[in-house]
Amino acid sequence: MSSINTPAVVMDNGTGFTKLGFAGNDSPSWVFPTAIATRNTSTGSSSKPMAPSKPSFLSSGTGNSNSLIAGSNANSKASSIHGNRDMADLDFYIGDYALEAAKGPSYSLSYPIRHGQIENWDQMERFWETSIFKYLKCEPEDHYFLLTEPPLNPPENRENTAEIMFESFNCAGLYIAVQAVLALAASWTSSKVIDRSLTGTVIDSGDGVTHVIPVAEGYVIGSAIKNIPIAGRDITSFIQTMLRERGEADSSLRTAEQIKQQFCYVCPDIVKEFRKYDNDPEMFAKYIVDTVSHKKIEVDVGYERFLAPEIFFNPEICSSDFLTPLPIIVDQVIQASPIDVRKNLYKNIVLSGGSTMFKDFGRRLQRDLKTMVNERVEASERLSGAKSSGVQVQVISHKRQRNAVWFGGSLMAQTSEFKSYCHTKRDYDEYGPNIVRNFSLFSVP
Amino acid sequence: MLQLEPQNLLIEETFNTALAPGYEPVSLDRILTDFDFTTYHISTPQDKTKILLSIGIKCWSDLSKYGALELLQKKYGGYSFVKILSQGSCEPGYDVSLYIDIEQVQLDDEAKLELINELSLLKRNCFAAPFLKAFARYEVLAKETPVDPNNLYGEDSAATSNSNEEVLKLDYRGEESIYIKPSNDRVTVIFSTVFNDETDKIFSKVFLQEFSDARKRSIQKAPQVINSHKEVPLEIQHIAPPSDDKTYITFVLFPRHLSTEDVKWNSITHIQLFRSYFHYHIKIVKCYLHQRMRFRVQSFTKILNRARREVDEEELRAERKTASGRRFEVK
Amino acid sequence: MSQSLKPYLTAVRHSLNSALCLQDFSSQLVERHNYPEIENKRTPEILLNPLYISRNESERVLIEPSINSIRVSLKIKQSDEIEEILVDKFTRFLTKRAENFLILRRVPIEGYDISFLLTNYHQEVMMKQKLVDFIIEFMEDVDKEISEMKLFLNARARFVAEAYLNVFD
Repeated sequence: MSSINTPAVVMDNGTGFTKLGFAGNDSPSWVFPTAIATRNTSTGSSSKPMAPSKPSFLSSGTGNSNSLIAGSNANSKASSIHGNRDMADLDFYIGDYALEAAKGPSYSLSYPIRHGQIENWDQMERFWETSIFKYLKCEPEDHYFLLTEPPLNPPENRENTAEIMFESFNCAGLYIAVQAVLALAASWTSSKVIDRSLTGTVIDSGDGVTHVIPVAEGYVIGSAIKNIPIAGRDITSFIQTMLRERGEADSSLRTAEQIKQQFCYVCPDIVKEFRKYDNDPEMFAKYIVDTVSHKKIEVDVGYERFLAPEIFFNPEICSSDFLTPLPIIVDQVIQASPIDVRKNLYKNIVLSGGSTMFKDFGRRLQRDLKTMVNERVEASERLSGAKSSGVQVQVISHKRQRNAVWFGGSLMAQTSEFKSYCHTKRDYDEYGPNIVRNFSLFSVP
Repeated sequence: MLQLEPQNLLIEETFNTALAPGYEPVSLDRILTDFDFTTYHISTPQDKTKILLSIGIKCWSDLSKYGALELLQKKYGGYSFVKILSQGSCEPGYDVSLYIDIEQVQLDDEAKLELINELSLLKRNCFAAPFLKAFARYEVLAKETPVDPNNLYGEDSAATSNSNEEVLKLDYRGEESIYIKPSNDRVTVIFSTVFNDETDKIFSKVFLQEFSDARKRSIQKAPQVINSHKEVPLEIQHIAPPSDDKTYITFVLFPRHLSTEDVKWNSITHIQLFRSYFHYHIKIVKCYLHQRMRFRVQSFTKILNRARREVDEEELRAERKTASGRRFEVK
Repeated sequence: MSQSLKPYLTAVRHSLNSALCLQDFSSQLVERHNYPEIENKRTPEILLNPLYISRNESERVLIEPSINSIRVSLKIKQSDEIEEILVDKFTRFLTKRAENFLILRRVPIEGYDISFLLTNYHQEVMMKQKLVDFIIEFMEDVDKEISEMKLFLNARARFVAEAYLNVFD
C-alpha cells in the first residue's frame, strides 16, 4: 500500500479530553473536550436528538440545512436550494466549538465517552469523522491509526471500533493499545528508567477519576485494578470552596483551576507546613485575575497551595465517604497482584495524567509507600528470623506526564515495527472484525 | 461539516499563537499532514523566534516544473521576514521551506491575519501553479482563435480543436493523477482516482452520476462534469496509460470560471479539493448508514424482546425445591 | 403493501405456525447431548421436509423443520449492485450482533442472506405467536430499510454534488 511514509495518527479519546496528533511529535496537536453538540430535532422527541430520524429523511426539519451551511464556508445560496432535506447528520460541532454551540438554544451537548468507554457509537463515529477530516486533515486510507482503550474494555467495543475505522473510514491499519501500557512506555523517557520493561504500576489521574493499574509484561492485571473517586475536578472544587469561605473577590472555577496549576504543590508534612506559613508571610502568594472589563483583581492564595493536593494523601479533609489515602491504595493494588511480579510493580510506579503534575507528588508518594513497605519487611524479618533482600520502591515522574498516554502512543507508533503490529484493512476484509480482539504486544526496542 | 476547508487549521493555529502579542517563544518540532500525502514540518532549528515551515508534496517535481516556486515567490516574497528555501537549501526530506522570523513581523492586525491565512494555504498555493499556467495559456489561445460569440457555452464545439496542446499532468497521489488541458474556449481538468474498496467503488458511481446530472438539472453556472469508468477520456488518451481500475472525472471550466483573479482562485481552491471532498462524503455516507443500522438493530431487538415470556416470580420460586421439598433462595 | 407481498407473508406466517411445533429431543448419537437436529442432520428420521416459499426469483424463504429446531432462511431482494452492497452490509451488521438476537444464526445458509435458528429452548422462553410476528416484521422491515437506504444514498449524493458545484461561481 502507498501509505508507507505517512506518519501514523495517534488518537487518545478520554472521558474528558481527546488528544489528537501524529506519531513522532512530542505533544498532541489538538487537545479538546470529547464533546459533541448536535442539533435538537424540531419534532417532539427532543429527548433523544441523536437517533437518525428514522424513515423521515425526506420529510423532516426545514430549518436544518441553513445553519449547517452557515457552519461551513459554503455560500448562502445552497441553503435555499436544499432547504428541505434532512442533512442533520452533517450538522454538529465537536470539541471547544461544541461547548460554544451548546450555549445557544438549538444544539445540545453530549459526551460520547463515559468512564473511559464509548457509550454512544453514533456520536463517536461523527466525532472521529470531524477529528480526522477537519482537525488532522488526513485521508484515513493513507494513514495507520493508533487508538487507545481503557483497561477492561470489552472486546465487543474493540470490534465496534474496528468496524467504524475500517468500514466507514477505510483506514490503512489499526492498533488499539491499552492506555496504562502506553503510560508505561511514556515513562521510558525518564532517566530513572533503565530496563524499559512493560511491567509497572500506573497511577492515572485525569479530571474525573483516578485509576491505579498494575501491568505485568504488557498485560493489565484486571482483578487488581482500583479506582479512587478523587481527581482533578475535586481538587479544583476544593480550592474553590476555600476561596469562597475566605470571601475572596473572585472565586470562579477558572480562577481555582489557574491557582491549582500555578501554585499547588505537595508538602512532606502538613503540620510543619502550616507552621512555616504562619512564621513566614512570604509563602502566601497572590494571583491576579484579568477580568473581562480589564480590571485586575488580586486573589490571595493561602494554605490551599499544599492543602489541595493533600486530599490524595488525606482524603478525609474533603470527602466523607472515601477515606483511604492513595499510597495505601497503591499498596493494596500491588498486594493483590501475583506474588512474582510484586517486586517489579513496586520498583516501577509510573504517574500519568494532569492531576499527578503537582510538584513533589511522586516524592511524597514514594516516601509514604516506602515507609509502609519497609514496616512490612521488618515485621516479616522479625517473625521469620531470615534476612530479607528488601523491596525497592520507586515512583517515576517525567516531563511528559500530562499527556503520557498520548505520548506513549506517539513513541510506539513512530517505531519502524509499528506497522507490522497493526491489523490492516486487508486483514479485516479477510477475517472480519474479530481480528482486533488480539493485538501482539510491542517488543521492547 | 459539509465542505472541507482548504486551509490547514494546525498551521493557522501555530502562527496565530506565534504572531499574537505577548508570545513567549518556545521551541517547536511538529509534523503535520494534509490530504494527498502532504506533510508539513514546523520547527525552530536555530532560534526560538525563527520558525521553519517545510512542506513535502508527493508530486513536487511536477509542480515545480509548472512554476510552483515562482508562484510561492510571488505569494510570500513580498514579506521581508519570510525566506523561501528550495532545492538544496530547504530542509532535507521536504520540498520547500519557509523560514519566518517572528521578531521581524511588524504588521497591523489585518495584514497579520492575511499572512496567517496565506501560510495556512501553503498547499493550495503550491497546487495552484499548474492551474494558473493553464489558465494563462487559455487566455493566449482565446485571443488567437476567438470563440464564436453565438456559441455562448461552447458545449458543442469540438473538443479536438486544440488536440495537440500540451496537457499538464500531476501525479498527485502516485497512482492517481490530475490532468489539465487548456484550449481556446475552456480549461479541462481531469481527475483519475482509484477506489480500493468495493463498496466505495459502487457508491462512487451513484455520486458521480449526480455530479454529472447536477448541472443539467439546476446549476447551469457550474462547470460541466463528465465521468467515465475504466475508459480514458479523449483528451488524455495519448498520455494516460489504459487501466481497468481507474475512474475518470472531467471538469470543464468555462470562461465564466476564469474571468477575474478572484474567480480563478476560487475555482482553483475548490477544484483541487475535489478528490478529498468526494472520498470524504462517501465515508460520511457510510457513517450515516451505520447509524441507521444501529437504530434498526435496536428496533429489531425491541420487537424480539416482546416475544419473551414474562417469567412469573411465584412460579420460579415454586420450582426451587430440594428433593425433600425444602425451598431455597437463589441469589 | 403491494399485491403480491401480502399473500407471500401470509404463506410464510402459516408455514411458520405449523412448523414451530418443537419438543425437547436428546441426541440419538451421542449420549447426554442435545443438538438442534436440523444443524447436524445425522438422524434422518426426525427431519421433516424443507419448504420453499418464493415470491419471485429474488425473494424467497426456506423453512427447514425438524423435531426440536427449525431453520428459517431469507433471501432479500437485490435488484442492482447498490442493493447488493446494502444488503450485504446490513446482514453483516446484524449477524455481528447476533448475541442480542438469540435466534439469529451467525452464518446464513448457502444461497441466502440471513438465517434464523429456532430451537425448542427458544420456544420455552418466548411466545410462539410473537416469534412468528418477529420474523414477518423482520421481512417487511428489511425490504423497507434497504430501499430507504438506497433513497438516502441518492438524495445525499445529489445534495453533495450540488453543494460542491454551487461554490463555483
